[in-house]
Amino acid sequence: MSTRKNTPLQSLRVLSGIVLITWLVLPPIPLAIWSFAKGWYFPDILPKRWTLNAWEYTFSNTAGVIDSLWITIWISLAATFLSILIGVPAGRALGMYKFKGKEFIELLILAPVIVPGIAVVLGIHSVFLFMGLTNTVTGVILVHLIPTLPYMTLVMSGIFANYDAAFEDQARSLGASPFKTFWYVTLPAIMPGIIVGGLFAFLVSWSQYILTLLIGGGRVITLPLLLFNFATSGRNDITGAIGMIYILPGIVILLLTAKHLSGRSGAVGGFGQI
Amino acid sequence: MTHVSLKNLSKIYPGTQMPALDNLSLEIPTGELTALLGPSGCGKTTTMKMIAGLLEPSSGDITFDGKSVLDEKPEDRGAVMVFQNYLLFPYMSVAENIGFGLKMRKTDPNQIKKRVGEMLDMVKLPDLGNRKPSELSGGQQQRVALARALIIQPDVLLLDEPLSNLDAHLRLEMRDLIRSLQQEMKITTIFVTHDQEEAVVLADKIALILDGKMKQYDTPQAFYDAPIDEATARFFGSQNFIHGSAKDGIFESSLGKISIPKNIKTGQGALTFRPENVQIQQDGSKDNTFTASVDNIIYLGTQTRLKLKLSDVEIDAIVNPREAQGLSIGDQINIRLPAEILWKVN
Amino acid sequence: MSDRKKIALLLLPAMLVIVVLFFGGLTIGLMRSFNYMPIIGLTEPNFQAYISIFSDIEFYHSFLLTFHIAFTSTVISSILAIGAALLLRRSFAGKFIVNFLFQLNLTIPHLVGAIGMLYLFSQSGSFARLAAEWQLIARPSDFPALVFDPYAIGIIMQYVWKEVPFIGVIVLANMQAIGEDYESVARSLGASKWQSFRHVLMPMIFPGVLSASIIVFAFTFGAYEIPALLGANYPAALPVLAYQKYTNVDLAARPEAMAMAVIIAILCAILIWIYVRYCRKRIRGHV
Repeated sequence: MSTRKNTPLQSLRVLSGIVLITWLVLPPIPLAIWSFAKGWYFPDILPKRWTLNAWEYTFSNTAGVIDSLWITIWISLAATFLSILIGVPAGRALGMYKFKGKEFIELLILAPVIVPGIAVVLGIHSVFLFMGLTNTVTGVILVHLIPTLPYMTLVMSGIFANYDAAFEDQARSLGASPFKTFWYVTLPAIMPGIIVGGLFAFLVSWSQYILTLLIGGGRVITLPLLLFNFATSGRNDITGAIGMIYILPGIVILLLTAKHLSGRSGAVGGFGQI
Repeated sequence: MTHVSLKNLSKIYPGTQMPALDNLSLEIPTGELTALLGPSGCGKTTTMKMIAGLLEPSSGDITFDGKSVLDEKPEDRGAVMVFQNYLLFPYMSVAENIGFGLKMRKTDPNQIKKRVGEMLDMVKLPDLGNRKPSELSGGQQQRVALARALIIQPDVLLLDEPLSNLDAHLRLEMRDLIRSLQQEMKITTIFVTHDQEEAVVLADKIALILDGKMKQYDTPQAFYDAPIDEATARFFGSQNFIHGSAKDGIFESSLGKISIPKNIKTGQGALTFRPENVQIQQDGSKDNTFTASVDNIIYLGTQTRLKLKLSDVEIDAIVNPREAQGLSIGDQINIRLPAEILWKVN
Repeated sequence: MSDRKKIALLLLPAMLVIVVLFFGGLTIGLMRSFNYMPIIGLTEPNFQAYISIFSDIEFYHSFLLTFHIAFTSTVISSILAIGAALLLRRSFAGKFIVNFLFQLNLTIPHLVGAIGMLYLFSQSGSFARLAAEWQLIARPSDFPALVFDPYAIGIIMQYVWKEVPFIGVIVLANMQAIGEDYESVARSLGASKWQSFRHVLMPMIFPGVLSASIIVFAFTFGAYEIPALLGANYPAALPVLAYQKYTNVDLAARPEAMAMAVIIAILCAILIWIYVRYCRKRIRGHV
């Protein structure tokens, strides 16, 4: 297709590309600026004075940010770990076998990906109330499984669909026990899937808001809850600092996995939940 | 009815040094079936895409009936390309696929329907219009792809490896179909292939491209009888080369003097000949007769291939199994290379 | 162990979590929306909650607003995402960096994007300040209300910001898997650039676009924190309204909240049905 005569089209492409990328990277920037601003009043384009006050406050013991950070990390790690534990076997069943009712099972697992948390969490809340799980970290971890587990299962099902179980038979026939077969043959083969799936399950849990808000009942304050509170209370500088901390894991994970990411892998589906 | 000519056509892909195609010039007369033959990656498909307007040449020109078509968009060129893997649109029925080109020209739907019916008959798939491409065999897909291209009555038909994805028994059938449609519609047709047999059975003329350069442009027969150089001869399956130099009907080589046709040019080179033209002789006294030892005997059913050694030269001979009867490895035999079967390459 | 037993055992933990937590939550919500909860002595189901919300104009406003948010965000995001994928599938210098920047916000939570929108587009936000700098406005209140506004412009902008890369990455992968040869065939058969996009590329990427759009629509319909942060007080988006009702001091409002949750769930069930009916079939029709 002729490329030499369409320079106007070419520059239109470049221009729209620049606008698009600018638009995409723009929103976090004011948060970053705010976190270093000492007052930033209309109509200043940039703050007149700069300070580290917001960061000092954020890392002080009184702010509760550090506590919140640890509890958020703990919840997301636990939810991820449980998702891996439960999602890997389920992914194996769905990826490697054909069986009656498979489509129905897939549908059951897909449903939480599409149905928003608010539609189920109210009902769960009334049950957890009876079981004493509301306002507890355990309750929050459990409810985070609703978005993380389907996601992990779908990723693992994709991995197992391309996995050849004959390697396991080979290992068994060479004298490996079932456990050793799993440890030395299966696990290394599916490890990339577990890592990528786990990282994004972590992010899915990390970004949950309404599930934590209702089940945690104001007692379990994860980072997004704290961020929301500061954002609505008008403390823009502290909001900015917490916001920067909050997006850090996502950016690190994106940097780590950028090469492996393609829309073809199941991993991308998880982005709809973050 | 279009005379296609390629003039000094070159293509260098961005970011690469080696040209994918180097200075190719070719005249393809109206209504002829021409093969672009060469190993994978020699620039054949690149050439095809440039003729179709899907790629822009780095330099050179392409003319249809003397008029440059470089500025014409692919949809306006009148050259339609059929891809190797057919690329039938998977979400359309067979009939919709075939009618695609007419639909793009906003032809009346009833007219499209009628023409699609005719095309289906023509490619001998009259009842498959409502099928999806995924329900067709490879050979049927190929026919649909052909019908889809021919329905728009192109001036130039470009076929990318038209027979290579087909089973042996389908190849002959498809070859006959392509030949008969092409003869009937008199469309200037160019196809690319890496398979010299495919080129030989299908083409009026073959252009052999090696390393991005055209080696020889000739009739299929000429590639066997008068290959231009050793690489060309080898590409057409010849194993037999005797190095030396020619002068006045005599070829001097390590096997001694060999008489050759008078018209062979003087100079250094190699004598080559088809293995099936080698003759086994009882009588060792005739001209151009040499003693050979039998290195190997391979039975091919209707023929027998002999690997022979004439002092330091190894050659292949294909003989009638009856002639080979009683031969065993290590035997000494007399073979004759009559002057009329010999051809000198550079 | 037979294959069936093995499969059942492998699936059991996951099914337990999904059936008990997810479908359990849905069922309890459904029961409570009918005021039916034998365990706390409510044994007579009724339609009170539904009658109550359907006779309240606020619900209709809220539903329409939420539908508007979800629909508009999904349509704009899908169109822009297809455009972005068309741009990004070409090869150009610096492609790796551009791709990375394009994907950057995939891992940034919606909430951060929403706060960013607030700081960018509020009446004292960065764009208002730029407008003041260029003397387009004299004071903050001259700047158009783009957040907390009745048309939910801020909310939609946030969703578009977040979902363009999401849909874009999926569409781009689809396009790369399809390759450019189908379009070449179409061009060669006489289709113009536009026709080959419209009749060839578009139908081939459509299942991917549709499935991604369904996920986006459901998410934007059911998300709480973004409309809670960027939305106007009245009408509130449906999830916000449901949350307010649920946490109301008047416990009688809880069944109404449950009824709204059920309505959101039914809408999503319809979406899942479309997904299964349409996307899967078409995806299977492909290679």
